[in-house]
Amino acid sequence: MAEKQVTIEVSDGAAIPRTGDRGLVSAWRLSFLIALALFLYLIVFRQEPYLRLLKLLPDGIIVTLEVTCASIGLSVVIGLFTGLGRLSRNRLVNLVASTYVEVVRGIPLLVQLFYLYYALARFVLLPDMAAAVIGMSVCYGAYMGEVFRAGIQSIDRGQTEAAMSLGLNRMQTMFSVILPQAWRTILPPVGNESIALLKDTSLVSILAVSDLLRRGREFAAESFLYFETYTLIAIVYLLITLILSKLVSLMEERLGQYERP
Amino acid sequence: MNDHRPIIQIKSVCKYFGRLKALDNVSLDVAPGEKIVIVGPSGSGKSTLLRVINRLEVIDSGRIIVDDMDIYDNSSNIHEIRAEIGMVFQNFNLFRHKTALENLMLAPVKVRKTPRLEAEQKALQLMDKVGLRDKAQSYPAQLSGGQQQRVAIARALAMNPRIMLFDEPTSALDPEMIREVLDVMIGLARDGMTMIVVTHEMGFAREVADRMVFMDGGQILEIAHPRHFFEKPKHLRCQKFLEMIL
Amino acid sequence: MYRAISLMVLAMSLLTGNAWAKTIVFATDATWPPMEFVDENRRVVGFAVDYMEAAGREAGFTPVFKVVAWDGIFAGLAADKYDAICSSVSITEERRKAMDFSIPYFEVRQALVVNRDSSADGLEDLKGKRVGAQIATTGYFAVRKVDGIEPRSYDEIGLAIEDLYNGRIDGVVCDDPVAAQYALRNKKYRDSLKIGTIIESGDVEYYGIAIKKGDTETLNLVNEGIKAVKAKGLDKEILNKWIGR
Ligand SMILES: Nc1ncnc2c1ncn2[C@@H]1O[C@H](COP(=O)(O)OP(=O)(O)OP(=O)(O)O)[C@@H](O)[C@H]1O
Ligand SMILES: [Mg+2]
Repeated sequence: MAEKQVTIEVSDGAAIPRTGDRGLVSAWRLSFLIALALFLYLIVFRQEPYLRLLKLLPDGIIVTLEVTCASIGLSVVIGLFTGLGRLSRNRLVNLVASTYVEVVRGIPLLVQLFYLYYALARFVLLPDMAAAVIGMSVCYGAYMGEVFRAGIQSIDRGQTEAAMSLGLNRMQTMFSVILPQAWRTILPPVGNESIALLKDTSLVSILAVSDLLRRGREFAAESFLYFETYTLIAIVYLLITLILSKLVSLMEERLGQYERP
Repeated sequence: MNDHRPIIQIKSVCKYFGRLKALDNVSLDVAPGEKIVIVGPSGSGKSTLLRVINRLEVIDSGRIIVDDMDIYDNSSNIHEIRAEIGMVFQNFNLFRHKTALENLMLAPVKVRKTPRLEAEQKALQLMDKVGLRDKAQSYPAQLSGGQQQRVAIARALAMNPRIMLFDEPTSALDPEMIREVLDVMIGLARDGMTMIVVTHEMGFAREVADRMVFMDGGQILEIAHPRHFFEKPKHLRCQKFLEMIL
Repeated sequence: MYRAISLMVLAMSLLTGNAWAKTIVFATDATWPPMEFVDENRRVVGFAVDYMEAAGREAGFTPVFKVVAWDGIFAGLAADKYDAICSSVSITEERRKAMDFSIPYFEVRQALVVNRDSSADGLEDLKGKRVGAQIATTGYFAVRKVDGIEPRSYDEIGLAIEDLYNGRIDGVVCDDPVAAQYALRNKKYRDSLKIGTIIESGDVEYYGIAIKKGDTETLNLVNEGIKAVKAKGLDKEILNKWIGR
C-alpha cells in the first residue's frame, strides 16, 4: 500500500541534490569546490582588486540575504493561501486566487518591481526594502501557490476522508494531516523556487536597493574593472545558491524519514 | 434484539453520481448494538451507503437520523456526529506521517480536546486491545497490512464511537493477515458495539451478523437473518450472488 | 540595432554626398536633460548633440548617437562597441587612466536638488538622511564623500529625482544643467523641487568626449571640431538654445 510519490517538475532553480542520487550530489560538490577554490584563490593571490571589491560586498550580501529570507517566508505564506484558495470550493475565493496567479504570472517581475516602487508611489510610499520584499513575495507567492496546490492534491483522498470521519474539521484536516505530508512533495519545488527567488533578488537593484549586484555595479562603473567585478559577483552568488540548495536537500531528507520501512 | 429506538434510521435515501443512481430509495433501521453485514456485487452501492451515514457523501433525497440527530439538518454539528461514528477503510488510510500512537491520539486531542497524557493512556490501552502495544512507536510504513488495519480500528475506537462502519476491512490484506483483523472485529462485536460491515468474509458474517443485507443496483433487495439468508435467499439475484462467492 | 544604425549612416552619407566624411559613433545614455536625452519623437537631442553636430561640420566628421545604459557605457568603449562617449562625462584623474579625453566642451558644477520646503543648504545639512545620485557619476562620488549620509545610487538620474519628489530620499546631487532642467524647467517637478546649492568641491569639472585610449585619429578630429566651435562662438548659440544662461 505504498502511497504514490509525486514529483513536481519546476524549471529555473538550481539543481537540488536529491537524496540518494549520487550523480547530482557530486555535481553539487564539484561546483561548490570549484567556486570555493576560485574564490579563495582570487582573494588570497589576487588581492588587488578582488580583496578591495570583497570589502565593499558584505553590506550587499546582507541586503540580498535579508530580501531573500523575508521574501521566501512571505511567499510561502502567500503560496499556502493561494494554493488553498485555488482548491477552495467557494467560487469567489477560488476566482480571486486564480486571478491573482494569472495576473502575476503574466507580468514580468522587473515590471512588477517598478510598478510597486515608482507607480504605486502615488498612493503608498513603500520603503525600498518593503517594496523589494513585497514585490518578490507577490510574484513568487503565485508560483508557490501552484506548488502548494499540486502538493496538496498529491495527497491521497483517503487521508482527508479518514480525518473527516474522525470528526476533524477542514482546517484541522488541512493543517494536521494534509500539509505535514504534502510538505514532502512541496519542499523540493519550494526549494527550487526559493533558489530562483534568490537569484531574482538581483532585480531589486533597480529600486536603488544596495544589494550584492548593485554594490558590484557601483564598483565596476567606477573602477572600469568589469571582468574582475562580475567574476567575483558571480562566484559569490553561486556560493550562496549552492549553500541554499544543500540546506533544502538536508531538510528534504529529514521530512521524508517516516516513509522508510 | 432490543426494544430501544433505532440508533440509525435511513429513510428513502437516494444518491446520484451525475446520472448514475448509486443509492435508489434505500431504507434501513439499525438498533443499538446490532450488527449488520452488507454484501452485494461490485458497484452495487455498499460503500456509498456507508459513506452517506457520516456524510462523506451527500444524499440527494431522503433522511438519515443518527442518534436522534438528522445529519443533513444544518443545525446539527456534523463533526460531532462523525466523532460518534468510527469508520474503517479498505485501504486503512492511516496518517502516514504519524506513529501508530499519534494516529490514535490526533482526533481525541484535536476534536475532543482530551489532555495529551490522558489521550496517550487511552491510546496505549487500545493498542493493547488490538494486540500491538509494541508497535506504538512505529510509522504505518513500518507495519504490515494486517497491523495497519488493526491500528486503524483502534484509531476509530479512540473516539469512543457508538457506531462502527467497516468498508471491506480485509479486502486489501494478504490471506494470512485476515484472521487477526477479523478477531479484533469479533471482539468488538462481543463488547456490544453497533456495527455495519461490508465484507465478503462469509464465515465472519455467519458468526457475527444479526441481519444480512443484500444490495444490487443501488437498492436493498433483501434483509434477512443470516440463517435464512444463507440457506434460502428469496431473491434470485441474491441466490446467484451467493452461489458465486461461496 | 547596430546594423540598422550603420546602414542608416551609410545611406545618409551617400545622400549628402559626404561619403568621404568619417563617421564617429558616440555612445550616450540619453537620460541627462538638457545635455543629451530622448525627445518625444524618440530622437536623441540636447546641448551635446548639437555641439557635436556643429563640431562635425567644422572638422569634417558625421556624428552618430547610440543609446547605451550608463553603467555599461565605459565597458562598451573598451570593447570597441563605439568610437567615443558623449554623455556628460566629467573628466577625472581616475577616468583618465582608463581612457583618453578630448578638450573640455562644457564646465559644470555639482548641484544639490532638494524639496522646495527643505532648509538644507548643503550636503552637510543632510547628515543622517538619504541622498541619491546616478550610479558612478561625480555626483555620487561627492555624496559618498560626506560621512553620515546614506548614499543611494540610481541607474538613471530621472529615477532619483522621482524618488526625491515622492519623498523617499532627501536630496539628489547631479550636474548643474541637469539640476536646473528638473528643478526649474520640468513641468512636473518645478513646483516641488529647488536647487539647494551648488556644491563647491574645490575645482570645477569639465565634460569631455571620452575616446578609447590610443585612438588619436578620433581624438584629433573631435578636438579640432570643439576648437572650431569655440573659436566661431557657435557654442554660445547652442548654450542659449538649450540652457539659456
Ligand atoms: N465519487 C464517485 N463519483 C462517481 N461515481 C461514483 C463515485 N463513487 C462511487 N461511484 C459509483 O457509484 C456506484 C456505487 O459505488 P460503490 O463504491 O458504493 O459500490 P460498492 O458496492 O462499494 O462496490 P465495490 O464492491 O467495488 O466496493 C458505482 O457504480 C461507482 O462507480
Ligand atoms: Mg466499496
